[in-house]
Amino acid sequence: MAYGIRLHVWGERACFTRPEMKVERVSYDVMTPSAARGILEAIHWKPAIRWVVDRILVLRPVRFESIRRNEVGGKLSAASVRKAIKAGRTDGLVTLVDEDRQQRAATVLRDVAYVIEAHFELTSKAGPDDSEGKHLDIFNRRARKGQCFHTPCLGTREFSASFELVEDDAGMPSPHPELLTSCDLGWMLHDIDFADGMTPRFFRASMKDGWIEVPPFRGTAA
Amino acid sequence: MILSELYDYYQRLAANGQVPRFGFSTEKISYALLLNVDGSLIDEPLDVRDTSGKKPVPKMMTVPQPEKRTVDIKPNFLWDKTSYVLGASGKSSPRIADEHAAFKALHERWLADTEDPGLRAVLLFLRQWSPERFAEFSPAVRESLLDANVVFRLDGEHRYIHDSPAAEQLRSRMLAEGDATSGCCLVTGEIAPLARLHPAIKGVNGAQSSGASMVSFNLESFTSYGKNQGENAPVSELAAFAYTAVLNHLLRRGEHNRQRMQIGDATVVFWAHAATSDQAEAAELAFAGLLDPPADDASETAKLRSVLDAVAKGRPLRELGLNLEGDTRLFVLGLAPNASRLSIRFWYTGRLDQIARRLADHYLDLELQPPPWRSEPAVWRLLYATAAQGKAENIPPQLAGELTRAILTGSRYPRSLLANLIMRMRADHDVSGVRVALCKAVLTRDRRLGVSGVDLELPMSLDRTNTDPGYLLGRLFAELENVQRAALGKDVNATIRDRYYGAASATPASVFPMLLRNVQHHFGRLRKDKSGLANALETEIGQIVDGLHNAFPRSLRLEAQGHFAIGYYHQMQSRFKTKSSVDPVAIDETDE
Repeated sequence: MAYGIRLHVWGERACFTRPEMKVERVSYDVMTPSAARGILEAIHWKPAIRWVVDRILVLRPVRFESIRRNEVGGKLSAASVRKAIKAGRTDGLVTLVDEDRQQRAATVLRDVAYVIEAHFELTSKAGPDDSEGKHLDIFNRRARKGQCFHTPCLGTREFSASFELVEDDAGMPSPHPELLTSCDLGWMLHDIDFADGMTPRFFRASMKDGWIEVPPFRGTAA
Repeated sequence: MILSELYDYYQRLAANGQVPRFGFSTEKISYALLLNVDGSLIDEPLDVRDTSGKKPVPKMMTVPQPEKRTVDIKPNFLWDKTSYVLGASGKSSPRIADEHAAFKALHERWLADTEDPGLRAVLLFLRQWSPERFAEFSPAVRESLLDANVVFRLDGEHRYIHDSPAAEQLRSRMLAEGDATSGCCLVTGEIAPLARLHPAIKGVNGAQSSGASMVSFNLESFTSYGKNQGENAPVSELAAFAYTAVLNHLLRRGEHNRQRMQIGDATVVFWAHAATSDQAEAAELAFAGLLDPPADDASETAKLRSVLDAVAKGRPLRELGLNLEGDTRLFVLGLAPNASRLSIRFWYTGRLDQIARRLADHYLDLELQPPPWRSEPAVWRLLYATAAQGKAENIPPQLAGELTRAILTGSRYPRSLLANLIMRMRADHDVSGVRVALCKAVLTRDRRLGVSGVDLELPMSLDRTNTDPGYLLGRLFAELENVQRAALGKDVNATIRDRYYGAASATPASVFPMLLRNVQHHFGRLRKDKSGLANALETEIGQIVDGLHNAFPRSLRLEAQGHFAIGYYHQMQSRFKTKSSVDPVAIDETDE
């Protein structure tokens, strides 16, 4: 891929939440393309570009762990936040966990590492001086330096990811021998179609020797 | 993958008719109203309950699936509880009139233009029924009829009205007409009408009696992108029905259901996918036997041993003649309740021979000589050892799921297991065989998996040449207690184990010098009565202290405290192996 990049990410824990098991979280077995896009966007993104994930390489075996956490049951409404902004005070803008406690268990992944292969495309918002080469250089520079807008995360914000740019084929890590088989991962979340009322799109995922091929994101098509 | 595997299992079961088809479910029915063709009631409502036991048990019948109702009034089709059908209920509430009216309205709407005699009878019955007529029934019937579920039957027919072909046709029309939005289902990948609410799952221990949900978004903080209820996870109605129907089937209570077991707070269900249903059943029985060995059934124990032996020698399971195939896929799902939701404690799929091998490894890790049990302990028995006072509700949360996951996947045992056991032993001074075996299992497996920092080969039985300080200190402590017991007699109320076990295992340097000083008093007493025994004990203590070299360690790490417990147990068992009278370490053989 001419304007493609390869990024090695790893972390101690990850939770790529299944949409149906959102309350008592259960993670997918591997990283979802939308999570991969989120990591790339954390490093570099402008309205002029759109990241497209091509392949994901799974490096470590799939291991799960169960943790239980205290969370809250409600959200602050947008209306109350707006009121606070207008009033200039945040007095009533509070959630007390004692009144609204929810204990939620989560089944998260342990010791994950992936290599994300992706490229980006210019969108309609690209200006005259936006070119693929320019954005590719910016991304590479930032990834080498470890710069990011916000710390990239592995599914949910509390599981932060460390990242490193894979410069050339020599530096490409290889997957654990346990993963060198083919297996079917079922229907996985591809991404959310924000243009179409936040509809989730799914694709049939399968892993071959650690590689997961991600089909192109069909926006409005089913 | 959980939902898609459940969906596949549903398809297999539905092909055999073992689960209700789409739109139907099995519910508890107590009474049937017998109707004439003109809708009048014949006689009293017929009691269809099973009266073979002490109490009459409602019969499980396949009826049109009930609506999920929490606060709304939603009548069911051709059956419901008496507050809906007859307008009478044990609790007086203003809703009853509304409920009955809703039931009548639903049937007016769907049965208005039917010509089937059974359905017309129901319609006519509802038109002429008034709730006051409930008092006409005999008192005995009235008492048990209130708030029970009732169905209808036409006089002269054997089957119930909801089973008739006309009713089924009407039901499929009802199901087809829905106002659900269509979308891509995440279980099947097809475009289908999506479920807004998923049916309830009943049968999980500790959950709400009205049923809990695995997929639910009932609070604001559970929703995303401003979506409501089922829109957060698009699952088609058929898939939602399928996975809940098959889960309810797996969770059914009864002696004959060997597809569920309770491990701590988690209800575990499992099923197999094999070439024939016989093989699947055999595989499920084998798995149940491996994970929960029956303590009293000798033939079952023998079968289990043969499976474990075959796996240990690497022979295929096919040769055992138990109709087992090594490549049968087994699916294990652990569910735990959390108010109105179900939490997934673990999900595991694998081949039968793989699982058998992992369980064999688990029992090997647990092995202790002399064995503190007659037959291999089930997982739930191991968990009781970690609970205060041996009560199930005191088992630390999450531990059940993590331990079962560790056993099935062959990964390290949960770290909290060792910490909990050490804490329990210090708190109630009970260094029981099960606890020691679990400590040994955790440490042995860590060493086998190559965890850094763990390199001590743990002996199964007493090893006099082992020089690990924790192990030696445990042995020393046991010998000191033996001296005390020998000197003071067998009915000592509290030995040094009750007073000093915790301190001795955690901070040996502060306790052992004092214990060694005091043991001389006991030796003095002992030499007067049993000098032979005194000599034997003295040489043993001398040998142990020799192995300790310079000084007592100031404190012991968690793993070393585990070694301490194992050394204590080994030494105690070797001393009292031949004597059957006094047994300070209780052998855990009874069922909890």
